[in-house]
Amino acid sequence: MESVRYEAPNNVEAAVRLLAGENGAKVLSGGTDLIVQMRLMNRVPTVFVDVKRIPRLSALALDAKGLRSGAAVPAATLYGNETIRKLWPGLAEATDLIGSSQIQGRATWAGNLCNASPAADSVPALIACGATVVIAGPKGERRVPVEQVNVGPGKTSLAPGEFIVEFEIPAPAAHSSDAYQRLIPRSEMDIAVVGAAVALTLDAGGVVKAARVVLGAVAPTAILVPDAAAALVGSKCEDAALERAGQAATAAAKPIDDRRGTVAYRKKIAAVLTRRVAKIAYDRARAR
Amino acid sequence: MAKVVFTGGLRTLVGAESIELEAARVVDLVAALYARYPALEGKLEGATVAIDGTLHHDARYQRLLPTSEVHFLAPIAGG
Amino acid sequence: MSNQNGSGSDRKFKVVGTRPIRHDGLDKVTGRANYGADLALPGMLQGAILRSPHAHARIKKLDVSKALAMPGVKAIVTSADFPEIGSGGMAAGESHIDPKDLQANIMARGKVLYHGHAVAAVAASTIEQAREACKMITVDYEVLKPVMTLAQALAKDAPILHEGRKAVGVPPLPEGDTNIMMRLANAKGDVDAAFKGADVVVEGWYEASMAHQGYIEPHATVVTTRENGQAEIWCSTQGPFAVKSMVAVTLQMDPNLIRVTPSEIGGGFGGKTTIYLEPVAVLLSRKARRPVKMVMSREEVFRATGPTSGTRIWAKLGVKKDGSFVAADTRMEFEAGGFAGSPMGAASMTLYAAYNIPNFRFEGLDIVVNRPKVAAYRAPGAPNAAYALETAIDELAQKLAIDPIDLRLKNAVKEGDVASYGPKYDRIGFIECLQAAKNHPQYKAPLGKNQGRGVGAGFWFNVGLQSSATVSINDDGSAVVRTGNPDIGGSRASMAITVAEELGIPVERVRPLVGDTDTVGYCDLTGGSRVTYATGMAVIEASKNVIEHLRARAATIWGCEVDAVEWRDGQAVGTNGASNNKPLSLADIAKQMAHTGGPIIASASVNPPAAGPGFGVHLCDIEVDPETGRSTVLRYLVVQDAGKAVHPSYVEGQFQGGAAQGIGWALWEEYLFDKDGKMENPGFLDYRMPVASDLPMIDTVVVEVPNPLHPYGVRGVGETPIVPPLATVGNAVSRAIGVRMHQLPMTPPRVLDAIETKKG
Repeated sequence: MESVRYEAPNNVEAAVRLLAGENGAKVLSGGTDLIVQMRLMNRVPTVFVDVKRIPRLSALALDAKGLRSGAAVPAATLYGNETIRKLWPGLAEATDLIGSSQIQGRATWAGNLCNASPAADSVPALIACGATVVIAGPKGERRVPVEQVNVGPGKTSLAPGEFIVEFEIPAPAAHSSDAYQRLIPRSEMDIAVVGAAVALTLDAGGVVKAARVVLGAVAPTAILVPDAAAALVGSKCEDAALERAGQAATAAAKPIDDRRGTVAYRKKIAAVLTRRVAKIAYDRARAR
Repeated sequence: MAKVVFTGGLRTLVGAESIELEAARVVDLVAALYARYPALEGKLEGATVAIDGTLHHDARYQRLLPTSEVHFLAPIAGG
Repeated sequence: MSNQNGSGSDRKFKVVGTRPIRHDGLDKVTGRANYGADLALPGMLQGAILRSPHAHARIKKLDVSKALAMPGVKAIVTSADFPEIGSGGMAAGESHIDPKDLQANIMARGKVLYHGHAVAAVAASTIEQAREACKMITVDYEVLKPVMTLAQALAKDAPILHEGRKAVGVPPLPEGDTNIMMRLANAKGDVDAAFKGADVVVEGWYEASMAHQGYIEPHATVVTTRENGQAEIWCSTQGPFAVKSMVAVTLQMDPNLIRVTPSEIGGGFGGKTTIYLEPVAVLLSRKARRPVKMVMSREEVFRATGPTSGTRIWAKLGVKKDGSFVAADTRMEFEAGGFAGSPMGAASMTLYAAYNIPNFRFEGLDIVVNRPKVAAYRAPGAPNAAYALETAIDELAQKLAIDPIDLRLKNAVKEGDVASYGPKYDRIGFIECLQAAKNHPQYKAPLGKNQGRGVGAGFWFNVGLQSSATVSINDDGSAVVRTGNPDIGGSRASMAITVAEELGIPVERVRPLVGDTDTVGYCDLTGGSRVTYATGMAVIEASKNVIEHLRARAATIWGCEVDAVEWRDGQAVGTNGASNNKPLSLADIAKQMAHTGGPIIASASVNPPAAGPGFGVHLCDIEVDPETGRSTVLRYLVVQDAGKAVHPSYVEGQFQGGAAQGIGWALWEEYLFDKDGKMENPGFLDYRMPVASDLPMIDTVVVEVPNPLHPYGVRGVGETPIVPPLATVGNAVSRAIGVRMHQLPMTPPRVLDAIETKKG
């Protein structure tokens, strides 16, 4: 019979030592994926390293530079924060789509990211906002853009012993906003067939100066679509620009056929959501 | 004489859409049917029996009127 | 919610028709209620099942020796531990069960017929030990090509699931080995000539996916056995007496040795009218000489327990310009799963039952495929049949430019009409339901862009069957009513209301209990929409018998003849020379029970005929996103004839629940298998049943055309509500997008394909 240990260190260094010490160690934050995988897929760690007692991981700081959020801050706290909802409405709405209300009381961005599902809802929105993670490990700390964390389904670029300590999101420039939508057949409690996040910065005249377009569930990881962003830059998100952005999204999407959707359907929906989400982000940015 | 109406497979076995038989109760009717149509033997056990529109799950000793119309249906139960 | 009394029922009820809080409600909302997995006995072992990783394979060798040596393992059971039994008949409703098949479905013998088919079972001290031991059982399989679809099963060179087994039923039957287990056929009039005389004809194939009942509580049982051969079984079931007889037949046991206690039940919908775990747990307990508990996971429920059939139905319907139906022709192919016995028979009887069609024909085939064996699911077979016919009717309505409710009204059956399945209808309420739907505000609500309104109707027999009940009076004047029907739809409340109505006491003074097979008289299972009707009749009779006792006791107290005592409004009232006595309440008489002859108790039993047909008419308003094919249900209405609603909230709940399940079947739910026949979505995440936010508030109209067979006019209500939704929702989607859809579920990709094909 396998046995499982539980450790709850109160500082980053102790957590790194535990994680680096054995291959079967797993970071426990909300546990909303980890515990389910242990029960259903029989993936039993040798030790759970609960990081919730490390003060940095539960801290949340907002200032002129932006947001610094500990990796163990639960989704409900994040989208429940009025400033976060105002500055990054798309990121807040994506965070509000993870699981159910009950799940959101425990689930975290770091867990959503490190579970490395291509269909994770918060990941495209984090990438669109230009979020960075601070990673601690045996060699100290390093900072990495969110889009570089996942390398494939279930796989991250984190080295043995490393774990995510916090997220940093730069304060949005003037006339900026973002949006996220996913397509699911039902209304909730489902996994994205396609997800799309768009973050835009406009000039004073309402012309898009900068754009980030990110798709989820259409490739092994969430992907940035620079061609779609380029189609929006210089436009006022008129129909023609949206159409070009959508076409770029379809072209960039490299989905698979699985029980949640087909290649052809996902490519079409990538365009539809890109158009719709860009328009919402644009209207929000205009209002700022 | 009670009228018995056959459909589907029973009609194929009997070779008639309906027949008339003298019987006081369903059990007597079934015995008479088996005697006249040996191919029917055993095929009416467990059937739902409609007597004048009412569907009986177990009609063995139900009385028949001379004017009664009888149908043998597949058993029904539901979920 | 509204109530339309279309009847001439003149009885004035005091309690029937009110909405008291259900007697089991507090325990259920506080988590105190004990479900199948909640029981624990001292020394109890945990059982786990090893299931086939293949959809179709021969078991060449099975070796449990390594597993037996594992720590904590106390017993292992395989098919070798089950007695060999012959084929034969066993009454199990429309899904006729061969006991040999029932046993082989519980534990594979020689061949596995679906991915997840049980192959062996282990009892160990802990569930982890039992699962580890399952991994150490070695099975040598000869893997065979799986037969996953009806088309594959009917192909000329199809692999055969049951070699040497012949098709039965109405000739012509296939000769030699076949996957067709049964053929049914019937005809009336001259169908071909009638089609020639029709002004408009529609025809097409209508496909529906296999669908699971989706009860929240997985199957669970605890069994203890004794040296004298007795077996005590606790389990989540719709029918404790059915469990008793099925365990007896599969294990060739003396039924007298078996006692079955039903737990609270977290949903069944027909799926808990058969057995899976109980005989296995009996055998494990016998071998280990310890109590054994077995609980399925959700994945096991999906892979190995009964859904209802997926179907392919070809239907053709012809009509005159004025809208009168002239002919219908149908070929129905039903997936039975790994063993014979789909609800194709019931489907064939319900198919044309709602309409007067002078010439019709049908053929039905029961076909085995390497999928889980189907079990009963709410009005088994009828939703599939109604999907085809009610869609064809909608197509005709569009072609004739006739209102779809008017087209149905023109052809609807009424009292005195001959049902397509043979006999004449007594009082029925189909016309009343159609009119109520037509007059409902939803039918006139304006529709926006990309929105469509669907209409659909449905029929179900509703059964009677055997029930018994006992009513006893406590010395404080309260009452207890005991029956053998597990309460899946609020039946405790209905039974208590019935006693309260008859005895004239408040419903809170009646405690309704569900007994086990040794403590209550025989009751057929909770299913077929029968409990409030049939068991309710037994309760009425038992209550009347109690009243006879009460009158006699009052006569004893007053020293008069019993004929001089009447029971009126919950009181013994003296007449004919006894009228100077002050009326005695039930409490007054109960107080004196000991002096007047001892406890007051009475039983009654019934075997009434079928409960009288239940008709329903549904309306669904849907909006389809034309760019994604995604549907949103905007409004939904259920109109149904309940005869008489004893507890209207639970009647409405049945209407809403059936509609919710039907909407899920129509829009989202489907079994997905990979190329090897392995189910890819054995969980609620990807087997998409609707969640609360997927549905609008489902509106209801309770029509009450009293059933002449029941003293209150009650009809069964539980099953009819799932018959109309498949077509109702499908018709709404088709009208919203302007393209006729023929395949369920109408998932976003399928709908988008249809929209794009139309655009060209």
